[in-house]
Amino acid sequence: MNDKVPTYTEAMQRLEAIVTTLERGGMGLDETLKLYEEGADLLRLCKTELSTAEGRLNELQLDEIESELQED
Amino acid sequence: MTGSGSVTTGPLPIGQFVQLVKQTVVRDPLFKNQALRGEVTQWKQYPSGHTYFSLRDRDGQMKAVIWKGRCAIDPNIKEGSEVVVLASIDLYVRRGDIQLNVERIEPVSILGELEKTKRKLIEQLTKEGEIDRQRLPLPAIPKHIAIITGAGSAALSDMQRLIENRWPGLRRTVIGVLVQGPQATEQIVRGLAAARKLSDPVRAKQRGEPPVDLVIVGRGGGSPEDLWAFNLEPVARAIIASPVAVVSAVGHESDVLVSDLVADLRASTPSDAIERVVPVLPELYYLLDEYQDRLGNASRRQINDNMQRLRTLHARLRVAPMEGLNRAKAEIFSLSSRIKVSANQNISAQATRLAQFEASLSAIHPQRVLERGYSMTQTADGSVLSSIDGVEIGQSIILNFADGSADAEIKNTHQNEGEK
Repeated sequence: MNDKVPTYTEAMQRLEAIVTTLERGGMGLDETLKLYEEGADLLRLCKTELSTAEGRLNELQLDEIESELQED
Repeated sequence: MTGSGSVTTGPLPIGQFVQLVKQTVVRDPLFKNQALRGEVTQWKQYPSGHTYFSLRDRDGQMKAVIWKGRCAIDPNIKEGSEVVVLASIDLYVRRGDIQLNVERIEPVSILGELEKTKRKLIEQLTKEGEIDRQRLPLPAIPKHIAIITGAGSAALSDMQRLIENRWPGLRRTVIGVLVQGPQATEQIVRGLAAARKLSDPVRAKQRGEPPVDLVIVGRGGGSPEDLWAFNLEPVARAIIASPVAVVSAVGHESDVLVSDLVADLRASTPSDAIERVVPVLPELYYLLDEYQDRLGNASRRQINDNMQRLRTLHARLRVAPMEGLNRAKAEIFSLSSRIKVSANQNISAQATRLAQFEASLSAIHPQRVLERGYSMTQTADGSVLSSIDGVEIGQSIILNFADGSADAEIKNTHQNEGEK
């Protein structure tokens, strides 16, 4: 996995791979802990993603949004 | 008498009855804002400004009126013209006549012209490669949706209700525009431009919200002319130019609109758009919880297996030298010395480590250990330092604590007594 923050979809795909690997068994301790930690990080990331999607509900007329954007 | 089902004792005055009929008829949504097609007869424009005519075809006809200033009337419309009108039913109580109140009227020949323009535009866009261009991916989790549609429209309330059902409080900005009539095209294009500004990360940061990452542009169903703005080049170009994915969500069944052809996703109705882009939040959480359980269980099992394996190995190694003694003393001597070195050093170190793991089985995570005041030392390339062996003076190391890390340099080294 590279340093770029994965998208939600990528994170879920990686999680699936990690869980499947761990469930297959035969891992050493180091590897197990490494995978566990990566999985826990991905879970945290996904939950953060979900919570950032909640927010303000704006309902504006075209003129209102345009003048609001002008002020920015 | 009020409402249906009430009983009257005497005959009802006809005027009252016609009034009742009118109330029932005008309330029926089927008779409101219907697009109708037919031939114009008895076309009469009065000096008062009102225009009266009948709309007919082979099977029937109805009187119609265009009140003064209600809509623009194409000067080409005359007796015998084929037209499409947008009209609601009304009942003229004084005469008991049912008539159409016309809101818009277009000669059918104009529709033909529009069709031709649309076909040309599609040809042009195909030639430019816009119809087959690579589409932008839709975000799995939309963090800020811009919805461009008629303010206060039924389509909008449908979408709002559906979003709240699927993901309560999902961030969205509704840009209310006119979606039909002469100003529709320009307003939709401006709406898309506003959404584009909201998708700019720098501007979004200033506004303190995530940038728009998905745009839905659409409206509910209507007559072909009502939807026409979505067939025009400015709208098509604005959709193509969008830096984030655009969903075309116009309620219609048969005819494909140009906006459908150029958008990143074509939805059949505004509600369909929501169902296709807004995930159901509880389902997402359920999936994450499931992964969390599986991850924890699988990891615990792995650690238990590892400890079991090492315990067995340790036990076998302790008896192995005794068994081998009778067969080859010399070999055993060398073996046992190797075991002393490697087994005692490595295996018992592992076993000790495992015993520690066992002790802290409930707190698997290294973080727990760090929180108790231990720190973990890593070399610059990230491997963990667990022995003084190979540590050099002047070497850069990283010290990891529970709540952070520190870069450090080795000043001196000391070997513990009896370790070598």
